[in-house]
Amino acid sequence: MTRGYIFARLWQTLPMLLGVVVIGFLLVHIAPGDPILALAGENGDEAYYAAMRERYGLDQPLANQLGTYLWRLAQGDLGTSAIQKQPVSDVILDRLPNTLLLAGTALVISTLGGVLAGLWAASRVGGWRDRTVAIGTLLMYALPVFWLGQIAILWFGLRWGWFPVQGRTDARSRATGLAHVLDVAHHLALPALVLASQQIAVIARLTRATLVDALRSPHIDAARARGVSESRILVRHALPAALLPVVTVVGNRVGHLVSGAVVIEIVFGWPGIGRLLVSATNDRDIPVLLGLFLLIGFAVLIANLLTDITYKWLDPRIRIG
Amino acid sequence: MKGPRRRVFAGLAAVMLVTASCASDDEPVADESDTTTGTSPATQPPEDETAEQPASTTAPTETTEATQTTDPGAPEDDGPAGAGGTLVVAISDDPGQYNPALTTSGSVHTASELMFSGLVSYDDDYAPQPDLALSWEIEDDGALYRFALRDDVAWHDGTPFTSNDVKFTFENVLTEFHSRTKASVGALLVSVDTPDDTTVEFRFSEPYAPLLQQLDVTEAPILPAHIYANGDIEGNPANLEPVGTGPFMFGSRTPDEEIVLVKNPDYFEDGLPILDEVVMRVIPDAGSQVLALESGEVDWLWGVPGPDLERFRNDDRYGTLDTLVNPGGANCIMTVSFNLDRAIFQDVQVRRAIAHALDREAFVERVAFGQGNAATAPISSGIPTAHADGLDLPDFDPDEAARLLDEAGWVRDGDGVRTAQGVDGVDDGTPLRFGVHLFPNFAPYGELMKALLIEIGVDLEINALERATMVEQVFTDRNFDTNVISYCNGTDPEVGIRRMYISGNIAPIPFSNSSGYVNTDVDALFDEARNTVDPAARAEVYRTLQEILVDELPYYWLVETTSTRVFTAECSGFKAFGHFAESASCSRE
Repeated sequence: MTRGYIFARLWQTLPMLLGVVVIGFLLVHIAPGDPILALAGENGDEAYYAAMRERYGLDQPLANQLGTYLWRLAQGDLGTSAIQKQPVSDVILDRLPNTLLLAGTALVISTLGGVLAGLWAASRVGGWRDRTVAIGTLLMYALPVFWLGQIAILWFGLRWGWFPVQGRTDARSRATGLAHVLDVAHHLALPALVLASQQIAVIARLTRATLVDALRSPHIDAARARGVSESRILVRHALPAALLPVVTVVGNRVGHLVSGAVVIEIVFGWPGIGRLLVSATNDRDIPVLLGLFLLIGFAVLIANLLTDITYKWLDPRIRIG
Repeated sequence: MKGPRRRVFAGLAAVMLVTASCASDDEPVADESDTTTGTSPATQPPEDETAEQPASTTAPTETTEATQTTDPGAPEDDGPAGAGGTLVVAISDDPGQYNPALTTSGSVHTASELMFSGLVSYDDDYAPQPDLALSWEIEDDGALYRFALRDDVAWHDGTPFTSNDVKFTFENVLTEFHSRTKASVGALLVSVDTPDDTTVEFRFSEPYAPLLQQLDVTEAPILPAHIYANGDIEGNPANLEPVGTGPFMFGSRTPDEEIVLVKNPDYFEDGLPILDEVVMRVIPDAGSQVLALESGEVDWLWGVPGPDLERFRNDDRYGTLDTLVNPGGANCIMTVSFNLDRAIFQDVQVRRAIAHALDREAFVERVAFGQGNAATAPISSGIPTAHADGLDLPDFDPDEAARLLDEAGWVRDGDGVRTAQGVDGVDDGTPLRFGVHLFPNFAPYGELMKALLIEIGVDLEINALERATMVEQVFTDRNFDTNVISYCNGTDPEVGIRRMYISGNIAPIPFSNSSGYVNTDVDALFDEARNTVDPAARAEVYRTLQEILVDELPYYWLVETTSTRVFTAECSGFKAFGHFAESASCSRE
């Protein structure tokens, strides 16, 4: 039953992805700017630009270009990056793990941190903890990520020297094994924290709100009456019920994480797909752009599917399918 | 964010923003942006091609107040191999492929030029020096060039370098893919012959003067024929793991992160290079590059935002080098183009009035933050063999500007915007209002223009457009009034000047004749200069040309932009361009 549901949902993503590709294709072509410019270089003559257009099929009618692209896509071929002269799949896969690492770490930090902060705030509504969390989260939510990133670099990187200011590894060391892992972790900490900050705020406030709600329900009163400790009430009785909306939000934030990653990757020089998205846009590297649209669309759809499944797991009363 | 608290936090955030502004630092101002592909060395390279260079005659000056810890070329104290150290260079983007013969892209050239060589290299005055070629002779008035090549050069894979590599590169790659070399050399080149392994002859259909200025690693990097001869040149795996003849060899690459170059132990220049390793580190954001230099994570920046520069100049932990050159191009002039298809710009008096209103010195000081000099001629002073001195370029004179506009029929009532009164092709009462197209990083040029022009009753609208969009509107659609572009002159007028002025180049080609200027005398003079090999005679032709251009003002030339390399004082021995790190070394600890 559940399995059938998952297959059905996956099946439904196909037309949506097709829509993403077609709309993305049209958008890229409607936007002003000629891909041949980035591709071909400057001071050329007309014959040169015409030859380049022909070489990359850009002289074909739009419908033909779209048809060719879809036909190749159906065969699993994402095309070749016009700028990098490599298969799009390689270009993306080279960078995807870095973004997954960054966004995944941020997702974990923000979920755990947000829920914990929410718990802490809800443990005494209106108390100083509650107010500290309220102020802290408002601040984190209000600060633009690019700015927070620069500030974090300035203080934690430059002033105190706790973290490197850019990159994924140390440019001067060729560490392998554990040393390499530690090196990457050291470089990852700052960007992941900054990327997580906004999500922490959202999740903390939501967790607190739903917890406060849950704490007012009759079964909590009943537990208190039985003499269950406050902390146990909070964690065992109120939290599970309060987590449902949190799960939805976490799932929905995946898209935000991707857009946040674009900024973070540029500020911190992190070599992921966010940066690729920006450079491919500037260069009008259409095959790479379409590949990224597909990937991001797919990620968001999958995140939503996972959200629904987790939902069911957290609350068996919910029927899906 | 709810309720009234929101305001409190907005205020708080604002305060913090102010505190932090020193850090987060905004775009470079004066600088341009890129080169062909996307991004570029942090701050500078001009939009159109790439490079820049200083003022007067060139001579990249070592402005270093920094202590040069090591003499260029002096081996380090501790020991033999492994003593040269590692240089970490910040680059703005990973071009994804490293074949400099395929493109003029500044980012490709920045990343790859250390791995390749040209037939010649240039000294600080752009005089050709031997590189792969030891010597050369010119015959048939410049229609035949014969080069004697070195016989002791090996490709990084050990295969000997021969004249066939040169022939192959010119015939199959440069004149097919490298847009600048294809359009100039390619247009007149008849054949490349190889009488023997160490001789190569270029034959042209008519005398071709600029060849020697087009043979360095930027304009004509030589590729290995034995690797590229079979199969697809653009798809060749060597584009990712290059095999060249340069001082450094390809080591490894992590996409968008770094490219590691290692010392070429068999480099044909004895004792060079000194460094063991050069790491090209990709850091897209100019502000982050500055922070990385300050934290010691990188050693060399191709440029820094204007406001940061003074700080580095005054800090003896850093050295600086001013130059007009960047990988991919050189000698760039921030230039105003007038769209001569527009009725309001057909009268030269109007163009002259605008020129009189634009204070070039103010652009140098307030927009370029001193990184450059006021332009004094259509051809950059960085090309001393063609630049003309003492031309009558309109000086800053708002009163004269106002007088010229009054005369031209643009009358002003009080402090308002001028309106037409009997101007040809313009309805009476039309206000003197037009737009300027520019790349977003040049917006400060537009802002100063607007402020200066309103003084003489001209209303300017700033259209800052992302690169690809602007190029399309200006060169393809010709839908603009004026624009500001960094036109890079290159190492010879034939490379970067001709294209701006000849009538045959009004076409949907990026950075072509954007004013739409047509003057058959000018066309003929450019051809004559191309055919004139004698330097003195050639300079005369260019002087005549520049006098015409200053008289007719199809463009107005604002600032010759310089860029400044900044590096840690622990490293020394740099050149500003070309094989910049060939004789560099770093000492640490």
